[in-house]
Amino acid sequence: MSTRKLNQEVFGLWVNELIARQRVVGVQAKEERFVFEPLSKAEDLRLDYDVTILPPKKYLLPQRENLMAFTAQGEYESRLEHEPFILFGVHPYDVVAISQLDAIFRAGHYDVHYMTRRRNATIVACDVQKASAHVFASSMNTATVQDGFDLLLTKIGDDYLADAGTEKGEALLALVPGGVEPAKEDFAKREQVWRTNQESLGKHDLKCRPDELPALLAKSYDDPIWEEKARLCFSCGSCNLVCPTCYCFDVHDDMNWDMQTGTRTRSCDACLLNEFAAVAGGHNFRRHPAERYRHRFYRKGSYIPNKFGFVACVGCGRCISACLTGIANPVEIYNQLYAKSPDIETSEQAALPEVSPVTERTLSEDIYAPQAATLVQTRPLTELETFYEIRLDSGLELGHEPGQFVEISLPGFGEAPISVSSSPTQRGTFQMVVRNVGNLTNALGKLVTGDRIGVRGPFGSEFPVHDVMKGRDILLICGGIGLVPVRSAINYILDNREDYGHMTILYGAKTPADRIFADEQRDWGQRTHVTMLETVDDPDENWHGHVGRITALLPLVHISPENTIAVVCGPPVMYRFVLEELQKMGMSDDSIYLSLERRMKCGVGKCGHCQMNGVYVCQEGPVFQYSTIREVMEAI
Amino acid sequence: MNKPKVAIFDFAGCEGCQLQIVNMEEEILDLISIVRLVEWREGMSEQSEEYDVAIIEGSITRPQDEEKVRQIRERAKTLVALGACATDGGVNKIKNRFDLQEVKQLVYGADSALPHLDSAPTKAVDEVVQVDYKIYGCPIDRREFAHVVRSLVMGKRPEIPNYPVCVECKRKENVCRYEYHEICLGPITRAGCDARCPSFGTWCFGCRGSVDEPNVQAAREVMERYGKKVEDLEDRMLLFSNKQEARG
Repeated sequence: MSTRKLNQEVFGLWVNELIARQRVVGVQAKEERFVFEPLSKAEDLRLDYDVTILPPKKYLLPQRENLMAFTAQGEYESRLEHEPFILFGVHPYDVVAISQLDAIFRAGHYDVHYMTRRRNATIVACDVQKASAHVFASSMNTATVQDGFDLLLTKIGDDYLADAGTEKGEALLALVPGGVEPAKEDFAKREQVWRTNQESLGKHDLKCRPDELPALLAKSYDDPIWEEKARLCFSCGSCNLVCPTCYCFDVHDDMNWDMQTGTRTRSCDACLLNEFAAVAGGHNFRRHPAERYRHRFYRKGSYIPNKFGFVACVGCGRCISACLTGIANPVEIYNQLYAKSPDIETSEQAALPEVSPVTERTLSEDIYAPQAATLVQTRPLTELETFYEIRLDSGLELGHEPGQFVEISLPGFGEAPISVSSSPTQRGTFQMVVRNVGNLTNALGKLVTGDRIGVRGPFGSEFPVHDVMKGRDILLICGGIGLVPVRSAINYILDNREDYGHMTILYGAKTPADRIFADEQRDWGQRTHVTMLETVDDPDENWHGHVGRITALLPLVHISPENTIAVVCGPPVMYRFVLEELQKMGMSDDSIYLSLERRMKCGVGKCGHCQMNGVYVCQEGPVFQYSTIREVMEAI
Repeated sequence: MNKPKVAIFDFAGCEGCQLQIVNMEEEILDLISIVRLVEWREGMSEQSEEYDVAIIEGSITRPQDEEKVRQIRERAKTLVALGACATDGGVNKIKNRFDLQEVKQLVYGADSALPHLDSAPTKAVDEVVQVDYKIYGCPIDRREFAHVVRSLVMGKRPEIPNYPVCVECKRKENVCRYEYHEICLGPITRAGCDARCPSFGTWCFGCRGSVDEPNVQAAREVMERYGKKVEDLEDRMLLFSNKQEARG
C-alpha cells in the first residue's frame, strides 16, 4: 500500500476531484459544532474539527431508513441503498466504532441493509487535530488506528500524509493530482502526531484497563451508584443517540394515503427511553430509570465485551457532552466503581468470534423480509384470544421445533413475535394463538380464513424434546396463554409417546372463561400416562374444579425429581413462585426449563429490545434451562 | 373501503390547529379520499349530527360548551382532541391562575359583563368527557395529524411518542439549546413535532405537554449547572399549563 504527501493546494484539488466522481460525506461546521454532511466543495471540509454531534454511523445505520415497501395485499420488497460514497474525515475512535458495528451486523444473522451501505462506503480516516472537551480515546486505546479505514490522513505541518489501508483507498490515492513521495522525516512527524494523540486525547482518565470492565461490572450490579445517578436521568436517550456504538432500533409501518401501499422503516432507538423494554401487554421489563441507566453501562462494559470480545465504548465523549444533567460520563462511573473494587480479577479478554465469510447468497437475503402465508383456519378461543392455522404460500414446512416463535407481519401494522402452538409432527400447516393486546394482534383478530399474513422465522430455542426430555417424566406448568407454546411440546410428546415417561400437565387460568384448549385438555387427560390438572383464580357457579393459584396444584402431583424435566411458561409474575415450589419438591435447576416473554422486535438478535442483561431472548431463548439464567438478574 | 364520517368542532382556541389541516393543501384531497368530512366549520358549510370520528379543537371554557362536548361524545364512536388547548387546556389555561372577574375585566374592559363574554375556568377536553386519542402541539404537526387519521381509518391505535423532544433533536443533529444558555423544555416535553422549535433555532416551549413521567426535579436541578434560576424554568412551564404544579 502506498503513501503520498499532499500540500494544501493538491489536497483541495483532490477532494474536489473525489466530489466530482462520487458522493462524498465530510465534516463541516454547524453553528459552533461539527457534523458529517454531504460535501459540495473542498473548502467546506473541516478536518480541524474536535468531534461531531452525531457519529458518522448515521450514514451506515441511518436515524431513519426505509427497510422495505409493502402493499396491503402483503407483498414486501426490500429497499437497499447501493450508492457508493466516501465518508471523509472519520476520527480513529469512530473508525473503531464502525469496525465494531460491522462485526455485530455481520455476526449470526447478516443484516443486508447495514452491510450493503457498509460495502459501498469508503472510509477516509483522519487523525485528530484538536481534542474535544470530553474525549477519552487515550484510555480506550482508540486515539490512533492501524486498520478499519481505507485511507488514513494525518496532518503534518501544513501538509497531509495520505496512507492507503486497502485497495479502495489505493484507488482514491491514484486520483491525487500530484503529491509527492513522503520523506523519512514525514513519517517521523506522523509518528510524533500519533504519540501526541495517544496522550492528549484523554480529558478523562479511566483508572482501570478497558478489558477489566467486565470483571469490574460483575461486582457492581447492586451498587448504589445506579440509583443515585439515575435520579437526575430524563430518560431522554441522548447518551444512546449520540453514541457511535449504540445500534438498537425500532421498526414501524406507515401506510400511504392510498391505503394500498406503505413503508416499513427502522429508526434508531435508545435503551434509556421509558418504554424500550415494554411488551404489547403493557408489562415493562425495565420500568425504573435506574435499571435503564445501569443497562447502558453494562452493555458497553460487560454484555457486548462478553459476547463479541470488545468494549463497546470508544471514548469519543459525545455522551458526556450530550447529557444535560452530567450523569452519562462512563469514566466517572467506572472509576467510582473501580475505587470500591480495586482488586478485581482480570479475566482474559474474549477473542473476537469467528465471522463466517459472506457469500453472495446471504448478501441477497433480507432477514427482515417476511414470506407470504395464508390463514387456513381462524376461530375465537376466548374473548381475547384467537386461534389460527397457517400455511406458507411457498408450500414448504415452517420447520420449527416445539417452543420456537415466529414474527407475524401485517402490512401497515408491523410485526409481533408469536409462539408456534402446533407440534412439528403436524405437517403442511402450523398453528398459533394470539391475544388481542396491541395494534397488530387487534388487526389479526379481524382477519378471516383465506386472508394473507407475513411470516418470518422460526426463531429462538426449543424445549429439549430431542435430548434431555427423552425417557424422562415430564411436568408442564402453564399459566394463561403460557399453554400456547407448551402445547407444541405436549402434542409432540403424545405423537412420540414411547420416547417419554409420564406427562403431568398443570394449567391455571384467571377465570373459567379464560381457559384455552379446554377440549384438548380433556383429551390429553384421557391419554395413558398423562395427568391433567386445572385450576382457576376466580371461579363462577359452573366451575367444579380446583380454585386458586397454579402453585396450589403442585402438592397434588407426585414426581420423582431426579427423573423429571419441568417446563414452566406463564405471565411474568408466575415464575418466581413456581420455581420456589419446584425447588422444594427437590427439582434441580438443571431439570427446569422456562419459556420467557420479552419484546422480541427483530427476532434475529439485533434490535436490543428483548435483552435480559446480556442475554438475547430471541436468540438464546425463549426457552432457557433455569440453571443457565439463574444469575441473569433481569430474567425472573 | 368504508370511509368513516368525520366531524371537526372548535371551542376556545385560535383555530390555528384547524388552519394546519387547511394548510395540508393538496393532501386534503388525499384526506377526503379516505374519510367523509361531514362537518367542519372552517372548511365547509354542511353540518351533520351523524359521525364516527369527532375531532375537537380548543379548550372548554363555558358551561354551555361542556354540554355541547357531551353531546358530541355521545354521538361519536371515537373522539380526538386536537391541539394543545384541547389536550391540555393550552395557553387558555393561564387564566385559571387568576381571579376570573379580574381576568374578564382585564381582557374585555367595560364589556366584560356582557352575557356572550361569559367565561368559566378553562378545561382540557378530557376534563369534561373521555378522549380516545390526543394530537398534541400548538399548533399540531400536520404529519402527525395525517398519521392519526390514516391510523383511525385502518383501525389502528396511532403511535404517539412518549419520550422527550431531545430524542428528535439528537436525530436531527441539532445543537442543544442549553449550549446557547437557553432554558429549553425539550427534556420533559413529549416529542412528535420533529423538534420543530429547536430545529429553527429556539428553545422548546413545551407546547405538546410533558411526557408521562417527566423528571421535573432533574429539570430544576439542571438550572444551576447552566447558571439559570428555577423560577425561570417554572415560568416557562406555565405557558402551556405544562404541569402547573411545577410552581410547587
